[in-house]
Amino acid sequence: MSSDDELAERLRAGDEKALRTAYERHGSAVLYLAQRLLGNRADAEDVTQLTFVAAWTGRDGYDPQRGTMLSWLLGIARRKVVDRLRSAARDDRATETVRTQLPPPDERETPERIVDRLVVADELGRLPEEQRRTLELAFFDDLTHPQISAVTGLPLGTVKSHIRRGMASLRRRWEVDGAAFGSRSAGPSRAL
Amino acid sequence: MQHLDPDRLVLLALSEEPEELTESDHLAECAVCRRDLDQFREVAELGAESQEVRDLPAPPDRVWRAIESEVARTRSTATPVTDLAERRAHRKRPRRWVPLVAAAAAVVLAIAGTVTVDRLLERRETESVTARATLSPLPSVSADARGSVRVLADGQVEVDVRNLPLTTGFHEVWLLDPDDPTKMVALGNLPDQSRVVLPVPPGTDLNRFRLVDVSDEPHDGDATHSGNSLLRGTLTS
Repeated sequence: MSSDDELAERLRAGDEKALRTAYERHGSAVLYLAQRLLGNRADAEDVTQLTFVAAWTGRDGYDPQRGTMLSWLLGIARRKVVDRLRSAARDDRATETVRTQLPPPDERETPERIVDRLVVADELGRLPEEQRRTLELAFFDDLTHPQISAVTGLPLGTVKSHIRRGMASLRRRWEVDGAAFGSRSAGPSRAL
Repeated sequence: MQHLDPDRLVLLALSEEPEELTESDHLAECAVCRRDLDQFREVAELGAESQEVRDLPAPPDRVWRAIESEVARTRSTATPVTDLAERRAHRKRPRRWVPLVAAAAAVVLAIAGTVTVDRLLERRETESVTARATLSPLPSVSADARGSVRVLADGQVEVDVRNLPLTTGFHEVWLLDPDDPTKMVALGNLPDQSRVVLPVPPGTDLNRFRLVDVSDEPHDGDATHSGNSLLRGTLTS
C-alpha cells in the first residue's frame, strides 16, 4: 500500500489514478460521515462526489506533513456538508416552508466524534496484525488481558505490550488527526 | 512524585481493573496522569465505536462515475498549468493536443501578469541588467507569493522569490516559450535562501524563452516539468 506521501505526490502531479486510489481507500468513510451528518443518502452521495472533485481541483493544498489524507478528505467533506445545510436553509427561507429540523442528534454524535471514530478505525487498520487483533479483542469483545492471552495463545506479557503500544499509536494518531483535538489538547503528553 | 505506570493506565482506561486507593489519590493530585488516563479512556471508547465503521460499504458506482466526469470536465477547461501536468502523464502518446496548447498559450500571456520596470529605483544597476520580470502567483498559489527576475549582462539570471508555498520536493526555475509552452529550458533549482543567481545556458534565445516559471518539483527523478507552476512572469528588456 502506497503511503499518503506517495499518493499526495502522484495527486499533485496530476495523476488521476491517484484520485481513484484515494477514493477506493477513503470513499466509504467520506460517505459515512456525510450520511451521518445529513441523514439523507442522496445528499450524502452528492457530498461524497463534491468532496473528491474538490480534492482533485485543490490537490495542491494537501500537505502530508499536516495530517493524513483521510483527515484532509474528511475536512473537505465537513465543509461541503455545511455548504449543503446552508443552501438547504436558504431554500427553506425562499419558499417559506417550515421544515422540521433533523431529529435532535445524540449528544455524543457530533461531527468531531464521527471524524475521530473514522480516524481511530483507520489507524487500527494500519497497526501490525497481531497488535490490531489484540486490541480488537479488548475493544469489541471486551476481553481482559488474561482472556486475550488464553484466546490467542500469546504470553500475557506480549498481550500487555501489544495493547500498550497499540493504544499509544491510536492516541498519537488521534492527537494529530482528531477533529476536536485542538480544544482538548492542553499541554504536552508523556511519551509512553 | 511517582507517576502511574503506562501499563496500569491502559488497564484502568479499559476498565479492566478498578483503581486502587493510592492510584485514586495520585490521580486526584496529578494532572499529567489524569490527562493521560482521560485520553486513553477516550481512545478506548473510540476504539470500541470503531467496530461500527470497520467494514463500511463502498459508495455505489454512480458516485465515482460522477466524480470522473466532473474531473474530465475540469480537464477540458484547464489552463496551461494543467496541460503541463497532462503532458507529463501522457507524454508517451502522440501529440494530439497541440491545438489545445496553442489556444492555451494565449491564457499564459494573460496569466503572466504585470511586468514592471523600476528603472528609476535601480538606475545604478541598469547597465548590467538586460531584462527583467516580475513574477506573479498562479491562481492556485497564495496571493502573497511573488518574485522578481533580472537577467544580467554576463548571461546569468538573478531570481528573488518571496512567500513560496512549502514543498516536500524543491523549487525549479524554467524559461518557457509562451508561444509553445511545452518548450522550455531548465535553469536550476532554488535553494532555501530567497535570492539566487543561476546561469542561462549559452545561446538561449531570451526573446523566445521569455516566460519565467517557478515550479514545485517532487523528488521523483523525473527531470521534466511537474506541471505544478507556482509563479510566472514575462521578461522584458
